[in-house]
Amino acid sequence: MLKKINLKNKTALVTGSGKGLGKACAIALAEAGARVIILSRTKSDLDKVSKIIKRTKGSSKSFVCDVTQLKEFKKILQKITRLDILVNNAGNNRPEHFTKVKQENMEYLTNLNMKAAFNVAQLCSQKMVKAKNRKKIGGSIIHMSSQLGKVGCEGRNVYNMNKFGVEGLARGMAVELAEYNIRVNTVCPTFVETPMVKKFFKNKKFKKQMLDNIPLRRAAKESDVATAVAFLAADSSEMITGTSLVVDGGWTAQ
Amino acid sequence: MGIYLKDINLKGKTALITGATKGLGRGAAEAIAESGGNIIAIGRNQSELDSLGKKIRKLKVKYTSFKCDVNNYNKIKNFINNLKQLDVLVNNAGTNIPETFLNVKKSSLETILNVNTKAVFNIAQLCANQIIKLKKKQGSIINISSIFGLVAGQKRTVYSMTKFGVEGLTKGMALDLAKYNIRVNSVCPNIVLTPRTKKYFDDKKYNKYVKDNTPIKKVVTISDVATSITFLASEASSMITGSSIVIDGGWTAK
Repeated sequence: MLKKINLKNKTALVTGSGKGLGKACAIALAEAGARVIILSRTKSDLDKVSKIIKRTKGSSKSFVCDVTQLKEFKKILQKITRLDILVNNAGNNRPEHFTKVKQENMEYLTNLNMKAAFNVAQLCSQKMVKAKNRKKIGGSIIHMSSQLGKVGCEGRNVYNMNKFGVEGLARGMAVELAEYNIRVNTVCPTFVETPMVKKFFKNKKFKKQMLDNIPLRRAAKESDVATAVAFLAADSSEMITGTSLVVDGGWTAQ
Repeated sequence: MGIYLKDINLKGKTALITGATKGLGRGAAEAIAESGGNIIAIGRNQSELDSLGKKIRKLKVKYTSFKCDVNNYNKIKNFINNLKQLDVLVNNAGTNIPETFLNVKKSSLETILNVNTKAVFNIAQLCANQIIKLKKKQGSIINISSIFGLVAGQKRTVYSMTKFGVEGLTKGMALDLAKYNIRVNSVCPNIVLTPRTKKYFDDKKYNKYVKDNTPIKKVVTISDVATSITFLASEASSMITGSSIVIDGGWTAK
């Protein structure tokens, strides 16, 4: 009756997997049995992640890649023979009040969080639909969204715009890729204890303000999000598509 | 348990399931037992409760059954208040009588409201109080909702009214129970093929209506829903509360 989270014989690509959530997702997918392709701009980060995956008897392949460089990403895809799962994770945030948002920051965030997310998803989908047995074995694309893809937050207007966009993209893709049995979903975490958030949390006032908004009064752990991603990647969720798994300790329920 | 991948494990936990003898409730009981959880089954039919018990005990977990109609508040209150173990509630018992809005009978309205709304509320309240009384460090309540808790469907006005209500209840409970680390979520399945819905699927027009509205052209199985319920019941989802897992093959993404 229970469909276990099992990714044996699956190949997964995780963008932005040098650190933080991407790293956690890559390792979790490997732990569930997948062969993992990890991408990051920083070679030393990739080496560390590869080592951990190797230590847990998983299998990985790494490529240095900036996902905003479409040509670079295309070349890497050409070197990959098989792809069943994409974790579209690479993203960033530069919090600023709406009236103060610098043009260059809006450009940078939108290019990464939306344009690159779209391009990577499109290229990977094109690769995935080519597999002859795709309809039978299915595929899964998981976009790393955020609770801020569901509700607004101070100083997060560009990030809000980007992540609400990703929510829309996921639904559109889900409807179109259903005929290939490729499922498309998002994961919407609250603040997660990642290197990026730890930096924000150095501001004690900000940390308190954020935790006060999480009914469970704790930030999410990387493993909470990575487990949700693995659940969506596996056949445990084979009828789940075009929706979000909200891992927010109750933030958006209010 | 890996470094980042959490197991769906309910060893040592006790789950109470209403409407446990048939369909989704029975599936949930089996899936939770497969992941090591003890089962308390509530249903109206003793011989079905016994046959479920045979199956559950084979999985080497404890099984208790209680023959009771969920509308019988005093009887069920007395039972829940005396439980020695309780960690998880699968608030499943539900019903439906499809009628067009203009022709909904007063008796149908009463029946559906009593089971899907009032009994769901009462049992959730009783179980939450008992989990708190037993001083559990964590708890999980899963309300069985539906895609008709998110969107409307033909001849589903009362059902939608009650399931939209369950969605609201879920979010409200999640906030009030967060301080006890009791998480509350719902699952929203598409129309699942169960003994109760079989008669709908036998109607060709209805069958086509479901398929045409489900981008992934498959019917949701009991196992699909039971897996999501078990994921929510376990600590693999320890930061998920006040939310819904939508298992609809893309129905509500359109």
